[in-house]
Amino acid sequence: MATVHRMIRKATLVAVCGMAMSAVSPSQAQQASEIHLTYSKGQFQPTEVRAPADKPITFRVKNLDAKAMEFESKSLRVEKVVAANSEGIVNVRALKPGRYEFYDDFNEKARGALTVQ
Amino acid sequence: MRMRIKSGVSFALAFCSAACLATSFGNAHAEDASSWRDLETKYIFGFTTGSGIGLEGEKEFTIDTVGRFGKRDGHYSATETKYEFEFTPTQFIQIEFGALGSTHNINGVTDLDDRRQFAASGAFAEFRYLAIERTSSNPLAVTLAVEPTARSIDETSGTRVHNYEFETVVNADLELLRNRLYAGFNLLYEPEVTWASTGEVEREAKFGGSAALSLRIASNVVVGGEVWYLRHYDAANLTAFTGDAVLMGPTLYIQFTPKMFMTAAWNAQVWGREIGNPVSLNLAEFQRHRARLKFAWEF
Repeated sequence: MATVHRMIRKATLVAVCGMAMSAVSPSQAQQASEIHLTYSKGQFQPTEVRAPADKPITFRVKNLDAKAMEFESKSLRVEKVVAANSEGIVNVRALKPGRYEFYDDFNEKARGALTVQ
Repeated sequence: MRMRIKSGVSFALAFCSAACLATSFGNAHAEDASSWRDLETKYIFGFTTGSGIGLEGEKEFTIDTVGRFGKRDGHYSATETKYEFEFTPTQFIQIEFGALGSTHNINGVTDLDDRRQFAASGAFAEFRYLAIERTSSNPLAVTLAVEPTARSIDETSGTRVHNYEFETVVNADLELLRNRLYAGFNLLYEPEVTWASTGEVEREAKFGGSAALSLRIASNVVVGGEVWYLRHYDAANLTAFTGDAVLMGPTLYIQFTPKMFMTAAWNAQVWGREIGNPVSLNLAEFQRHRARLKFAWEF
């Protein structure tokens, strides 16, 4: 019984370590491309942005409105609440070419897109 | 048989009603699928789990109940509820853990003691790693998951045991039509070992897969269907095959608010066999029906 317990513990540990190690990609050590976004009157400015492929990206989202917004994207797999009149920084992994939409989760109409080439 | 059909029709009607109700709320004005936001696919396929791992920084509390109903004779119903906290620490990994509660209502079932009980039954953790991510040019996403579980109550009989399970799953899904139609696939291997209070040790494993198809009928409502093929072994290394079964049924996902959703699914066993027992269906290792209801709150 003790042997089986040890085996179960070992298998779990190995699986978790394996997943954690493979999640840290070498590209994360690269210099990130910076994208500056402004959020004002319930809209992103600009609404279309571009970035190079295979390079990490940092979004700097400046919220000029008097209420908080949540920068979110399912395809970028990030979310960040940015308080009123402040700036939020969102780091994104190196991306493959494609179009990635983002939006304010508190405001259905505020949307934008990142094109990675 | 008539009861089976009747309960099946009731489930189907309940699903349709819920979907219609949700659609009428979510579709107050005509919507174009291209304007819909991207969808998290993890919970849109019922018992089949999609590849989604959430968003970095996201936390979620869920109550996930799976009910299993119907044996060869007598009355059998059992549920297991996961009270679960999940979070996504990186853009590739999701971690979940929580406690289990179970109920058993068994009366007159061959080989099982009569029982009516509710119990705190164990704990679990799940680690999910996104191996292949979907992009606008690649519709396929694949996640690998492991879920160690410890139980003090036997899932089937409700008796006191020490049970350890190590579920490993490949979750894959395909976006067939942008923002509209999704196909999901799971490959499952679930070995477990159980020590009964009598000192008896039982090793077993489940192996199988599923395919599911889900259609987004409104920005906040997804309906679909899934089919599972499951094999049961009396050994962890898949050497002592004891029977298999095919289960299928409808699925429903409703996003009530950006931070709250529910998923529901119902499967009926449509084919099964028990090795050495020439009867229809496999009700020794599987159940006649199973249902899932899950509510989640993100924060």
